[in-house]
Amino acid sequence: MIFWVWIFGLIYAGLLVFASLKSYKKGRSSEEFMMAGGNIGLSLGVLTFAAALFSTFTFLGMPDFFRINGIGAWIFLAVSDGAMVFVLLWFGYEIRKKVRGMEFRGVSGLISRCYENKLAGYTFFLSAFLFLIPYVGIQIQGIAIFMDAAFPESLPAWGWSLGIVLIMLTYSEIGGLKAIIFSDAIQGVLLLAVIWIIGWACLDHFGGIGQMFEKVGSVKEELLSTPGPKGLLTPQFLLASLIAILMIPVTQPQFTTRIVVMKSMKTMKLMAVSLGAFAILVIIPTIFIGMYGADLYGEYSSQEFFAMAFLNDQHEAVAALAIIGLIAAGLSTTNAMIFAMGSELRGLLTGAENVIMKRTKIGIFVFSFIAFIFSIIVFDQLVLLARVSFAGTGIMGPMILLGILSDRKISPVMIYLSLTGLAIFLMSLPGIIPNMYFGIRLDLLLFIVLGISAIGIYLTSEKRIVTDLKVNE
Amino acid sequence: MKKNKLYWRICCIAAVFLCIITYTPLVIPQGAFKPMLGGIPYSLWTSFIITVLLVVLTYIGTRVHPGMQDEEDKL
Repeated sequence: MIFWVWIFGLIYAGLLVFASLKSYKKGRSSEEFMMAGGNIGLSLGVLTFAAALFSTFTFLGMPDFFRINGIGAWIFLAVSDGAMVFVLLWFGYEIRKKVRGMEFRGVSGLISRCYENKLAGYTFFLSAFLFLIPYVGIQIQGIAIFMDAAFPESLPAWGWSLGIVLIMLTYSEIGGLKAIIFSDAIQGVLLLAVIWIIGWACLDHFGGIGQMFEKVGSVKEELLSTPGPKGLLTPQFLLASLIAILMIPVTQPQFTTRIVVMKSMKTMKLMAVSLGAFAILVIIPTIFIGMYGADLYGEYSSQEFFAMAFLNDQHEAVAALAIIGLIAAGLSTTNAMIFAMGSELRGLLTGAENVIMKRTKIGIFVFSFIAFIFSIIVFDQLVLLARVSFAGTGIMGPMILLGILSDRKISPVMIYLSLTGLAIFLMSLPGIIPNMYFGIRLDLLLFIVLGISAIGIYLTSEKRIVTDLKVNE
Repeated sequence: MKKNKLYWRICCIAAVFLCIITYTPLVIPQGAFKPMLGGIPYSLWTSFIITVLLVVLTYIGTRVHPGMQDEEDKL
């Protein structure tokens, strides 16, 4: 296998270096570095959005989620993604309309301007920091664990993590957002190809789709229906997950940035449709891999299942491709998140442009370092941590939507409510306060309360007088 | 233009409707996996159709979204 890893690894590294050098331009402006010049076409747009969205969470996490919780995992992710692309179409139009004619400096900067209150930007930044950095950390850790399984005793897990962080930093420093978008495109194609090769091999083990479910049903019948063997996928859990995933284009800055940097409205809307098709294509083979795991490795730990299904049971070349595909998947998503955090920081800084850029780059380095520390100390299930990350940032959704959609002078009460919601959600994570009230999940309750509050605040706000519009110009 | 507004609203209502029925026993009857379609459990094939319909609705949305047509005209 090592031979194949070298072959595919060198091809992948060569493509990365090529993309990075192609994106490098001496004397480029900060706008070009941070926003790729705002000129991304359809193919790159679809692949970069897909690559940022479908990461190790999809590659490893979803097969494992299907294996443990059964077919309801489709509703958890695929139905939610189908609805999310519809929201993307609607929200993409609204945010592009809002930022037209002004320099987009991240959601934090935009939302500060919408509320005419810097606290709004800081609140958003805080939620992104709290929920994206641990997610980045666990993705890095996922790759490190996988590498450790592939090459035992070659490097400690933290050594792999450090290597990934260093590649990520070097790469983004040389090429900026454009290089990240190019690497996303490579990863998107690679992810789709590898997941289908492995998925097809897993389906082949059963001899067909009907036989697959028949066999899995004989092993554990609960896998064929909701809420699944562990009782996790209840209607309420799935509904709260839907809302959290719907909010991804609104509240996760790496996606919002990608919507804004698309070349035109036309490419943005075609990107939304293509992304929906891409989501279906990527998630289907994860069912096959998950059902294969349920049949053969139902009682194994996640790590053992990954090692068996992705490495040991595959042809050496396919296993090597899986390793490179996983590195690519993790690298592009973590890169996109860390860079987006830098972009958000830039939106909150004031002063001379070169000083802001310098501080932004220092910020990217600091975020990477914190993510590296998290990758060493945090242990959790990939999908469930991703779910917490989506829900945590999703709490900011009503505040951002109100800011972007409203043509009125908005009361800062919405900011205070969002901060309170964030604090309550954070307290529920370690169990300081319960996560169920009146039989309703806390995250769902927070979405409902904040959503209703946003509508109430909008209805009671004063209409803006014309001169106020200059704030956005 | 007026027609587009109406079609866009219909798309939005249809999308919300599809999302809502997904979380009812119509699509996810607890603990039931029959009737199967081509050997695929009930909740999986119904929710697969819903996913495809949502993407189709998004496509229709790109054609009828009233604001977007304005934008293209301006360009």
